[in-house]
Amino acid sequence: MILLESHSRFLLQTLFNRLQNLQKCVELDHNWVEFDDVRYHLQVSMKNPHILLLSVSLPTPSSETIFVRGLPFGAIEAIKAAYGVLVQILDPPRDGFNLTLKINLAKLPANQEQKHAFLVKVASVREVVLGAPLRVVLKNLASRTVARDMDPLVALVHRPKESFFLVPQANKVTVVYPMRFNDSIDIVLATSFLQEFVEARRTTGLNNSPPCSWSYTPPPELKGVSADALSANAGFVTFVIFPRHVEGQKLDRTVWNLSTFHAYVSYHVKCSEGFMHTRMRRRVESLIQALDRAKPDVENAKKTTSQNRSFKRLSLKDSRVDSFS
Amino acid sequence: MDPAASRPAVVIDNGSGYTKMGFAGNVEPCFIEPTVVAVNESFLNQSRTSSKASWVAQHNAGVMADLDFFIGDEAIAKSRSSSTYNLSYPIHHGQVENWDAMERFWQQCIFNYLRCDPEDHYFLLTESPLTAPESREYTGEIMFETFNVPGLYIAVNSVLALAAGYTTSKCEMTGVVVDIGDGATHVVPVADGYVIGGSIRSIPIAGKDVTLFVQQLMRERGENVPPEESFEVARKVKETFCYTSSDIVKEFNKHDKEPAKYIKQWRGIKPKTGAPYSCDIGYERFLGPEVFFNPEIYSSDFTTPLPVVIDKCIQSAPIDTRRALYKNIVLSGGSTMFKDFHRRLQRDIKKIVDARVLASGARLNGEIKSQPVEVNVLSHPIQRFAVWFGGSVLASTPEFFTVCGFLPITSSVFNAKLAYTNLYFFLTSVALIMLVWNFWLNVQACHTKAEYEEYGASICRTNPVFKGMY
Repeated sequence: MILLESHSRFLLQTLFNRLQNLQKCVELDHNWVEFDDVRYHLQVSMKNPHILLLSVSLPTPSSETIFVRGLPFGAIEAIKAAYGVLVQILDPPRDGFNLTLKINLAKLPANQEQKHAFLVKVASVREVVLGAPLRVVLKNLASRTVARDMDPLVALVHRPKESFFLVPQANKVTVVYPMRFNDSIDIVLATSFLQEFVEARRTTGLNNSPPCSWSYTPPPELKGVSADALSANAGFVTFVIFPRHVEGQKLDRTVWNLSTFHAYVSYHVKCSEGFMHTRMRRRVESLIQALDRAKPDVENAKKTTSQNRSFKRLSLKDSRVDSFS
Repeated sequence: MDPAASRPAVVIDNGSGYTKMGFAGNVEPCFIEPTVVAVNESFLNQSRTSSKASWVAQHNAGVMADLDFFIGDEAIAKSRSSSTYNLSYPIHHGQVENWDAMERFWQQCIFNYLRCDPEDHYFLLTESPLTAPESREYTGEIMFETFNVPGLYIAVNSVLALAAGYTTSKCEMTGVVVDIGDGATHVVPVADGYVIGGSIRSIPIAGKDVTLFVQQLMRERGENVPPEESFEVARKVKETFCYTSSDIVKEFNKHDKEPAKYIKQWRGIKPKTGAPYSCDIGYERFLGPEVFFNPEIYSSDFTTPLPVVIDKCIQSAPIDTRRALYKNIVLSGGSTMFKDFHRRLQRDIKKIVDARVLASGARLNGEIKSQPVEVNVLSHPIQRFAVWFGGSVLASTPEFFTVCGFLPITSSVFNAKLAYTNLYFFLTSVALIMLVWNFWLNVQACHTKAEYEEYGASICRTNPVFKGMY
């Protein structure tokens, strides 16, 4: 796996299971948590087996990010656009969650392909809600305009109490990620990973991908942001997105990839740690083998004594050992 | 407060056959996937004798192949459709054999299936009661070093199975757990939450052997199954059609009299040619599970029936626990799911026990009348993932985190947690909460990242469940 898929695997699996066993009235009540502290709760009651209640809780926003009634701006419109009439937003949401959706499985389109597409869309509710503001900005970029009421610097939440920043302009959008890691080893690995990442962008095959850069100090775009938001221990990554990156079908993927960039880096840091451990284990095993080869052959020595035993006088003790072996 | 303690713990039960994974506080695991990794080993076949430039290319290919692997059902599908992937089963007979594959398996479980950040959650893993301290250390090393988990608890799976049992029976932490998985069968007596280490019995017959036996029976009868699929078909046949009989002779007669009622049909499609085929399933329906009761029909090495093993196990336990142990024999693991398995087991054990009571009565000439011994084999609907469920119950109690050495969680948090877990209908019983509390006082085995950094992997060596036994 190199890139994460935008739908939650468990949610999609559960939705399909539900759909296949609509007649069976089985109660369902499941809680789970995804990376970046996105929590889900799925509930189906015995009375209405075709009504699903899906609640989502988003990461706590930092002080720079503004949530409108518990959701990022543009989220409600994005939900309505993505799901249409099949999904109802419950107000107020379930206690402890930011959003509760009511999904009616009985009203799904009959066409298999459409049904599948709809369920995948429901399973990627995270992309729809959290990516909504990013999508608005990038859509403006695709039409090469800047909304009048848009701030020159937009902060979007992507991890609990952490934000990344957008600088929307008419012909490009600059995206800046302050990278933070908890573990000291992770910081080192992430730093070198990001440097390699920027280096890899320069190869000829990737000429069309967004230009990216990494620096240890905050880039000039972030002037005027509070020092608290700029305390990144693994530097700052900047991407510049051009209109060609958000044309048509590409928009969805760009939104998802940008909003999960931190998870992507953190996954690869863990992968490289695992990779190094594999190598270390292999090395230890080969060294142990070398040590074993260097040992004087203990077993052979034993064998010779047992072969020579006939020359020794058998004592009672020896014969007893013999009978056990 | 530690933020990780406010999120549900991740519970992963790695079995030789299937891995059950999910979040604590739920009644069902999120995923049940075969414990298998498909590794891309195509780069190994490239010629090694060429120049240095190709050495670099080979190294890069190796690096890429390290990222190119699949687990679970996907792995099986991949290995079938292309020849570049080799299947590797990291766990044999309940013990982890291939740590590289295991690490990759966990990595996929966490990042791709559960999609959670391991730094955000406490982890509860399981081990078989006979796991070596070294492999427990290895587990700790991988979890703390690679995944940076904030806290880890390695539970003994039979204790968890017992914990799962007390939601359906009386609240008791004394009992015998008969855990028949795919690769290992253990009979583990537990007294008051402690494992009686010296009395653990293992049997070399497990779910995989049932599959092999079914496969052998079908092959010998000449059923029309493509050889490359025969093991998978045998596994499916075992899972869907097998049941436990009360008497083999009667069962044979029944099958012969009414073949239409008892003989089932299996339909499949040949993977290579795509041609459909069908085959009959006859006696193997009841002969498969029979290997536990009459092992001599399958192997000549091991011929002690399971009921005798359980009886011997209880007889070797301390005398004051024996009656309680007979009273609470708990089944766990997928291979105990055969229909009427618990009835047959209970009847056979009862027979042995009654014979012994009768013999001792005769020896004493009826002067002293002993009380009849109660034998109970319990089965519950969640047997297949009973171990996982036990882990889920225990990891959703607030003590799980306090035992892990963190600040005590206030009662308000506990109530909030209870409100959103769907275990409320189990946990509302005060007695149960007290029991879990006592249990956790005994089992303070959760390790935190801070402890790991202070003392190293050796903290995982001992498991207090065995305290005083070794």
